[in-house]
Amino acid sequence: MNTNKYEHEFWLHCLPNISNLVKFKLHSIFPDLEELRKEKEKSLQCLKFLSETHIRRILHGQSDKDISKLYQSLAKKSIQHFPWNSPNYPSQLMNIFDPPFGLFVKGDLPVFQQYRVAIIGARKCTPYGERNALHFAQELGQSGLQVISGMAYGIDGFGHRGAIQGGGRTFAVLGCGVDVCYPREHIGLYQDILNHGGGIISEYPPGTSPLAYHFPARNRLISALSDFLIIIEAKKRSGSLITADLALEQGKDVYALPGPVDSTFSQGCHQLIKQGAGILLSPEILLEDFGMMTNKTKGGKKKILDSSENLVYSLLCLQPKRFDDLLIETKMEIGILMGVLISLELKGYVKEVSKHNYVKYL
Amino acid sequence: MAFGTVLSAMIDGIRVEMVQVEADMSNGLPMFHMVGYLSAEVKEAGERVRTALKNSGFENPVKKMIINLSPATIKKRGSSYDLPIAVAIMVSSGLIPQKNVQNKVFIGELSLDGKVQRVNGLLPIVMAAKEAGVGAFVVPEGNAKECALVTGVHIYGVGTLKGVYDLLLGEREKHPYQNLKEDNETEKCTLDFSDIYGQKAVKRAVEIAVGGGHNILLLGPPGSGKSMIAKRIPTILPPLSLKESLEITKIYSIRGLLNEKHPLIYQPPFRSVHHTTTKSALLGGGSIPAVGEITLANYGVLYMDELAEFRREMIEVLRQPLEEKKIQITRKSGSYQYPADFMLVASMNPCPCGMYPDLERCHCSPKQILHYIEKISQPFLDRLDICVEAPRLAFEELGQSKVPEEEVLESSAQIRARIEEVREIQKRRYGKRSGDLTVKEIETHCVLDKESQFVMEQVYQRLHLTVRSYHKVLKVARTIADFEKSESILSKHLCEAIGYRGADKKSWGR
Repeated sequence: MNTNKYEHEFWLHCLPNISNLVKFKLHSIFPDLEELRKEKEKSLQCLKFLSETHIRRILHGQSDKDISKLYQSLAKKSIQHFPWNSPNYPSQLMNIFDPPFGLFVKGDLPVFQQYRVAIIGARKCTPYGERNALHFAQELGQSGLQVISGMAYGIDGFGHRGAIQGGGRTFAVLGCGVDVCYPREHIGLYQDILNHGGGIISEYPPGTSPLAYHFPARNRLISALSDFLIIIEAKKRSGSLITADLALEQGKDVYALPGPVDSTFSQGCHQLIKQGAGILLSPEILLEDFGMMTNKTKGGKKKILDSSENLVYSLLCLQPKRFDDLLIETKMEIGILMGVLISLELKGYVKEVSKHNYVKYL
Repeated sequence: MAFGTVLSAMIDGIRVEMVQVEADMSNGLPMFHMVGYLSAEVKEAGERVRTALKNSGFENPVKKMIINLSPATIKKRGSSYDLPIAVAIMVSSGLIPQKNVQNKVFIGELSLDGKVQRVNGLLPIVMAAKEAGVGAFVVPEGNAKECALVTGVHIYGVGTLKGVYDLLLGEREKHPYQNLKEDNETEKCTLDFSDIYGQKAVKRAVEIAVGGGHNILLLGPPGSGKSMIAKRIPTILPPLSLKESLEITKIYSIRGLLNEKHPLIYQPPFRSVHHTTTKSALLGGGSIPAVGEITLANYGVLYMDELAEFRREMIEVLRQPLEEKKIQITRKSGSYQYPADFMLVASMNPCPCGMYPDLERCHCSPKQILHYIEKISQPFLDRLDICVEAPRLAFEELGQSKVPEEEVLESSAQIRARIEEVREIQKRRYGKRSGDLTVKEIETHCVLDKESQFVMEQVYQRLHLTVRSYHKVLKVARTIADFEKSESILSKHLCEAIGYRGADKKSWGR
């Protein structure tokens, strides 16, 4: 087999601190990269776009043997490498600004014949954002859409989780190597994504650490890989808004979820809506926009609550409410009220966000 | 024979050892020599004693003097041997007949002018010496009241060395110190639960915690009155029995923490430790371990404010004493066991800034919130049966405005009465508090009815309880049922207990 077919591309891809643009230029000058690797310093100096450091990196990097070893080890870690000239390289990426020289993929790439949706938002999210990220991802995943996000804390994580719950496939684009789980706490999610037919994608070579400047760069891949973008919660100045701008540049549709108008956590979304982004009302309406029908016919969820549950539920809102306040307002006995809250929590209507603080969840 | 022997005693850890102080005078070059495994401060006693003798009008004999403190195998420390040494010298020089000091224990420090100074640790000595058959004690005046807590012995409080001489020669009338009935209420506690407005759920949780002897964690933003509540917990603890009271007073006596006017500690102690406390201050330490905070909190409350700020190691060392109600400290000089039967009250903020879950005001990152609770190990969290939020008070609850009429602020005495009842019920049922139940006992005594069993099953699966937290919930439910004098655990009792289940790390900040 021609396992070593792209080894030279792998070598060029892994050269540190050389921009994608330079790598593409080099590749067009040296279609057979082996020549580049054998090139003398003198002739490389003729290439005006190469700096001293570039040349040093190209000529005095890791030995051929090491590169070869690294390339072989990819298979062991079940990581695939798709350079830009590989047939598996997503063609969508070639049309964006600063396309990646190649991709590293653990698991699979999304299927490009089917819809792909990016669900993104703030790391620090409210229970409202959490619930909607889960709900949208679940419904869309169930309808066969592939959910793409960044596996960060907050909305990203819930987007992935929701898709998995809905039985869909989900893909995470990382700002570090695909064998690095960042944030560390999401190791369970990382495994789940892979176990449910999804994939971990990155343009950074395996082992790369999550550096701050990688993240805005990976955002362009999230939007490029997807057909449209959903923003669940974003503050006024949020990274998600950058992704939205990138998506618009790439000609993708952007949808934003409205929230309470006085919530700082939805201000970014409201700003987008004001600028003309699509408004997210429900997964069903969104799917209709794309000419798809939801798989399951929902007879509108009926709330089956008894009177005391209804009373407590009606007192709750999106802001956390304290047990003490509920106690005063309902005038119930402590044990009874706790029982009502537990049964509401078990039914999924209420969430205890911190000890004795409750929010409406459904 | 120019020889005198006098009884004294010493404290080793919290054990009492009787010490024989001997003085011998013989002809030869004048010298003063002390033997008997003495520490530096005991050796200095020689200078103090001779000067005090001179200044009290007694002549220092020009002889070869040997002082021996036996048994010579135990290291003697402290300044309490001054008085027995002085008396032994007076006996050996013939000033006082030997028979007049028989069966008496002498303890006290001398100052150069012959005054007898107060020393620490007298109460345990008097108690132990009484067991050993000693009937009379000559102690510093300042310690007399404390010693007189022991009945059936004669306590003589003395102020000067001259006074001791007069006493022993019968020149002063012998009046043992009379223990005037302790006016217990003189030092009335100024703290009361009725000072706290609002906070109904917290008060209720604290009441349950005290009733069943459960350890409790108070969560809440800064300034929500966590410390205020914790400080009032001793006021609702059932009062100490005389035996417990003496036991605590003994420990405080050794540490020198007694009040001269009201030596008996009759209220359960409240010890608050700061998060910069060292391990030895907490558990007890030193080459001869001094008792630590957990022993000082015996039968009372140990309060750890800002739990998350404690070094992890400090929290972990508490695991053993929490389980065994005592602490074993082993040093070169031997192994010491101190009591540590305390109720742990801990408080902490939910996140570094304290405002979580109010996301508009909390400026911590999700990672910070998650890592804040991570500082405390799960096994330790598991030992805190009850977890409750102390909310930030609204203005109406500050007590400035009128208390709503329907809200009755209960006094500590009212709450304590209920707690005593519950303790009594539990004592009758299994001879201990619910908090101390073992897994086996939980299975026999905390039986759920059908309805609550169904609730428990649902909760166990859906809310991801661990086996340990399942048992904790049952223990707490048992206590709650006892508060309502219900023999069986009903579903409302169970639900309330589930509401108090410990902080769950997995769902924290998510």
